[in-house]
Amino acid sequence: MVQTPMTRERLFALREEIARLEGNCAAAARQEALAGESGHARKRENHRLPLGVPALDHALEGGLPLNGMSEIRSQLMRDATAATGFALALAVLIQQQPEADHAPVLWISDTVTSMETGIPYALGLADFGLKPERFLHAAPRRLEEALWLAETAVESGAFSASILEVKGNSAHFGLTESRRLGLRAKAAGRPLLLLRQSGEEEASSAPFRFLVEPAPAKSRLLPDRSVLGGSIGNPVFRLTLEKSRNPAPVSLYLEWNPHDRQFFPAHEPERAWPAGRLSAHSGSRLPASANRPGRPQELGSVLALDQAS
Amino acid sequence: MRLTALDEAAEAIGLRKNQGVAEARAMCPKLDVVEEDLAADRRLLDGIADWCDRYTPLVALDGRDGLFLDISGCAHLFGGEKALLADILARLFHMGLDARGAISSAPGLSWAASRFGRGGIIADEDMETVLAPLPVASLRLDQQTIAALQKLGLKQIGDLVMAPRAPLARRFGTQLLLRLDQALGRDEEPVSPRRPVASLSAERRLIEPVQAEEDILYLTGQIAQSLKTSLEERGAGGRAFELMLFRVDGRVFRIAAGASQPLRDPKRIAALFSERLQAVHDDLDAGYGFEILRLNVMRHEAFDTPQEDFDGARQKDASLAGFVDRVSARLGADCLQNFQLCESHVPERAVAAAPAIHGFASGKKPVASGFPWSRSERPLRLFRRPEPVDVSLAEVPEGPPESFRWRRVMHRVSRSQGPERLAMEWWIDGADAQPRDYFRLEDDTGHRFWLYREGLYGQMPPPRWFMHGVFA
Repeated sequence: MVQTPMTRERLFALREEIARLEGNCAAAARQEALAGESGHARKRENHRLPLGVPALDHALEGGLPLNGMSEIRSQLMRDATAATGFALALAVLIQQQPEADHAPVLWISDTVTSMETGIPYALGLADFGLKPERFLHAAPRRLEEALWLAETAVESGAFSASILEVKGNSAHFGLTESRRLGLRAKAAGRPLLLLRQSGEEEASSAPFRFLVEPAPAKSRLLPDRSVLGGSIGNPVFRLTLEKSRNPAPVSLYLEWNPHDRQFFPAHEPERAWPAGRLSAHSGSRLPASANRPGRPQELGSVLALDQAS
Repeated sequence: MRLTALDEAAEAIGLRKNQGVAEARAMCPKLDVVEEDLAADRRLLDGIADWCDRYTPLVALDGRDGLFLDISGCAHLFGGEKALLADILARLFHMGLDARGAISSAPGLSWAASRFGRGGIIADEDMETVLAPLPVASLRLDQQTIAALQKLGLKQIGDLVMAPRAPLARRFGTQLLLRLDQALGRDEEPVSPRRPVASLSAERRLIEPVQAEEDILYLTGQIAQSLKTSLEERGAGGRAFELMLFRVDGRVFRIAAGASQPLRDPKRIAALFSERLQAVHDDLDAGYGFEILRLNVMRHEAFDTPQEDFDGARQKDASLAGFVDRVSARLGADCLQNFQLCESHVPERAVAAAPAIHGFASGKKPVASGFPWSRSERPLRLFRRPEPVDVSLAEVPEGPPESFRWRRVMHRVSRSQGPERLAMEWWIDGADAQPRDYFRLEDDTGHRFWLYREGLYGQMPPPRWFMHGVFA
């Protein structure tokens, strides 16, 4: 087939247009370079937040998009806290960016999920790396209200990150609504994290979707870099990038360090733990009653059956 | 059964109050008797009182069938006292209400003149001459005193005014003289309004009633504009606003809205009500339209004019305050909360949720940010109330469980950390509250939980296990 230069030019322009619509960074950057325009707004449009894990950042084409919606999903309701943790870790990363200027984080909760897995706890948030005084909790009664809240929050530009928690795959939150939210977030240039608890995979307008599953935590390190056996340290998530431009889904283990506020890649945990381990307690055992001599350290662990007490 | 109220037709036949129904039926067999409904009467009176808010903000209820209106400083707005009274009575008449009214400088005299006299406007110098021929019942006395006075032949108030005061007081108590003095304006009698009085208010009266929401909002903006100068004079901004909508048929709607920061910008005040109108949309029945719109500032606070700067930091605060106001106006103040840390080591008391409108945007610092005691890591999500957990196998005396059943799922514990013993607060929970031993557990699928044991093994009552939170 013979292509005239005219057709080729036209095809090229159309391809560029499609790439721009899909939000492909490289194409957009090329086009920007071609057009020769530069401005703060354009720069913000292509802004990405690297997560500090090369494999993941590569799959995300540079990092988490800061000007749109990203979806985080948990398979089961009992995995909801892992997804919560990952979303909040992302919010911490977004909040500590220089541009974010420590603007507060908005959490829009879902009534059913709050009843099932509890509401965010301020002291726990502080332990997780988030300042409780820069955290707002919204508890709308219905999904429509939650969607309106998310839209208003993104538009107001007062929040460094907004997290919208929904339960399952609601008929009232389909592709239309998700596209609307995504466009709002894009227009405002603000990140919106959609947290779908115990939901199925569903077509949405978010360019990336993560599946989060819990994984055994890291052990706590002692000052001499040795591991305190049986202790529970930094949380680890099993993360699957379900939807992205990559054809093959990326799956990896991520450790969140709340103290450094940083993700680290983690190895696949060994499942089997030695049997008969004691409760990890770095200090001494609880003291015995004051008016009696201290008891000798017990050799094994004594078990109480249900009826024994 | 007795008659308690009559309409004009019944009065024309010659029926009286307190007459037996049987007797009345004997006089007029076709009599239509309706049972008295005090609550409905009360609602009607409340409705009329709301309607009377158009004349003055100080409206007080008086018994079952009367209203006091404090019109100090209001009469000139309606063309003088005479025109005001005529206007009230004419409008009430057209609504189908038979009302009588009197204006004087003493509430007691107005009461007496409207119920027992001819009503109308009573000048200060005529007070005694108007009051003198009225019966003693018009002094708002109890039945016993009235009967006693009548037995003595003191039938008119004039007789009392002439009589020496000391014997009257000795015989009938001070109440009689107090009422007499109040009726003559010699003693103060406060009228307590039924609603809190607004610190500032402005209104717009319309020739043509409005129905559309946009019109209401536009007018609200205009009224807010006229309030702005008064707010500026006081150096204040409003925190709580109330929009009153007087419908043409006499119904009054009140829409309240709060702000997280003192406001005086008309646009933002109108924006508050735009959200509120969205929220109350179904309850607001415009009917034939609203004829009066009034904007009240219920509470105001000092307004510090901010210095504009170039880096836009203040802009961010303003947009946050705007967001908080919008959400609180539309979904209620309780919808948006921020967490405040409290001085308590009991996990559920250490954090209190407060509506964000009460101080998130105003930049108030939390009370206690640093915790003096050392504590182990807290869970990311806390249950509203701890859920009972079925533990069949646990290390005694104070070890973690081997496995537990929670929500009908068996969890095998693979790692555990603890215990962290928290004694309850004896000054709240009492001295016999059981201490809690908290454990951080991880099961073999990688879920992390925060369990606690209430009580100790080997003691009565036997310990119980609860799930209090979940970790990421």
